[in-house]
Amino acid sequence: MNDIAISTEGLVKRYGRVTALAGLDLEVRTGEVFGFLGPNGAGKTTAIRLLLDLIRPSGGHVSVLGLDPRQDGLELRRRSGFLGGDFVVDGRQTPQELLTYLGNLRGGVPDTTIREFARRLDLDLDRPIKELSRGNRQKVGVVQAFMHEPELLILDEPTTGLDPFLQHEFARLVRQAVSEGRTVFMSSHVMSEVQRIADRVGIIREGRLTNVEGVEELRSRARRRIEIVFDGPVAEADFTRVPGVSDLKVNGTTLHCRLDGRADDLIKTAARYGVATFSAEEPDLEELFFDRFNGDEDAS
Amino acid sequence: MLRSPFGKWLRDWRRSIIGWTLAIAAVGGMYAAFWPTFDKPEIKDLIAVYPQAIMEALNFTDIQNAAAYLTATVFGLVVGTLIAVYAVAAGTRTIAGDEEAGTLELILAHPVSRARLALRRFSAFLASATLIVAGLLLVLLAETGLVHLDGISLGQFAAMHVHLLLFAAFYGAVGFAVGAATGRRAAGLGAGAAVIVFGFVANGLLPQIRGFEWTRTLSPYHWLVDGRPLANGLQIGHVMLMAGLTIVLVAAGTWFFDRRDVQSV
Repeated sequence: MNDIAISTEGLVKRYGRVTALAGLDLEVRTGEVFGFLGPNGAGKTTAIRLLLDLIRPSGGHVSVLGLDPRQDGLELRRRSGFLGGDFVVDGRQTPQELLTYLGNLRGGVPDTTIREFARRLDLDLDRPIKELSRGNRQKVGVVQAFMHEPELLILDEPTTGLDPFLQHEFARLVRQAVSEGRTVFMSSHVMSEVQRIADRVGIIREGRLTNVEGVEELRSRARRRIEIVFDGPVAEADFTRVPGVSDLKVNGTTLHCRLDGRADDLIKTAARYGVATFSAEEPDLEELFFDRFNGDEDAS
Repeated sequence: MLRSPFGKWLRDWRRSIIGWTLAIAAVGGMYAAFWPTFDKPEIKDLIAVYPQAIMEALNFTDIQNAAAYLTATVFGLVVGTLIAVYAVAAGTRTIAGDEEAGTLELILAHPVSRARLALRRFSAFLASATLIVAGLLLVLLAETGLVHLDGISLGQFAAMHVHLLLFAAFYGAVGFAVGAATGRRAAGLGAGAAVIVFGFVANGLLPQIRGFEWTRTLSPYHWLVDGRPLANGLQIGHVMLMAGLTIVLVAAGTWFFDRRDVQSV
């Protein structure tokens, strides 16, 4: 068994003068959930389309499940499942018809399996797709990607349009797949989604991978907005020298600040007062990219 | 119907296919039903008064019998053009239409080779054209006794319809090939429409200019009706030409399709 599910080396894709991918080096290990994170237009979808041989590279090397997408596309696609960022299908058919057809393209998926997935995601199989809400259409996309239990799942912004309950159900599907030794490669521009599901995260920016790290490290490094409401008024001076704190504002009993890295010192300082509420906003991904970008400039 | 891209295409477009089958059968049947009206000396005298050039442009010369009349009106003009329009639209839809709608990507992410998908879809288009042509044939056969088409045998009818089917296959192949090679619906439709117009002009209008008679031989309309299959059976040269061009176009379109990037929406 191959330890590396996806690997790219110096992968380049140009459209005329526009460079969509500028030398992507990526390594996704078998059996992990890899979050592929980046702002819109960073090249996530381009990379995914290259993995599936929907488009051809201008340079570099790709290997998926040990196969070359160009030479062994059929085998590769037989063993993987794909959900595109924009799941568009002919709306005149019902999910039942579409899923049966797509299953047949893979040599047949039992009807009971389709029904089981539909039940789990609460999807009506018998209404024409054009009558379904965006969320329900996305469920059809999720089912077709998972229903044949592929070794590798390639998912482009998979939770778009899903409500929190379904995002949770989706996370369970992903976890289940991984517990069975399968690999999940998913792109997202939503930090919280990736944090919840992924083991490792690769950050792509302007067609290059800028960073790969574990979700925990990433989270601990990220900058958050903090709001603390105290029982009584607090002295601003107590907080100005707390490591990691910036943009501090104290307004009577309420404190706002930004926090870089560990929260330990801030919590201990706050604990000298009576704390009524404490809230930490999840780090904003755009901010994270901005930080990383500045960091690169500092380093060079 | 859900087992392969062939059946799925026919299923997805069943309403359109049935609509075109009924429309073409109705129009063809209606024109055929006018034959007894034309088959009168006074009408023939009336037609004789029209300028020869106009009659030639409309393929309307030499309306001596039912076969000549049907060739000029139904096959060489109205039904021929209708089926060419269907073929261009449907041929373009097989790949380029699906691609521009954003629905092709999902299928290509499945274990289906592009060449196989393209050929299955084009075969499905051919099946739809066969259905349309068969519908027309049935209506004309049913009318034979009623409107005095009895001079034409079953074999002669069949020969004419084989020509019509190949004519449709050729036009479908134009839309298919340009659409599959470019991924653009407008390119497929535009190329198809241009070839229809050229076919019409080269067959009827250009040959009236001295020195341009030869353009007729380049027209698919000419390949469709020349030699009058309805009276004289299959015209092997034109049958081979239309079949050959169809094969070349489909092969070329598939070759380019297999080698290019699939467009994202």
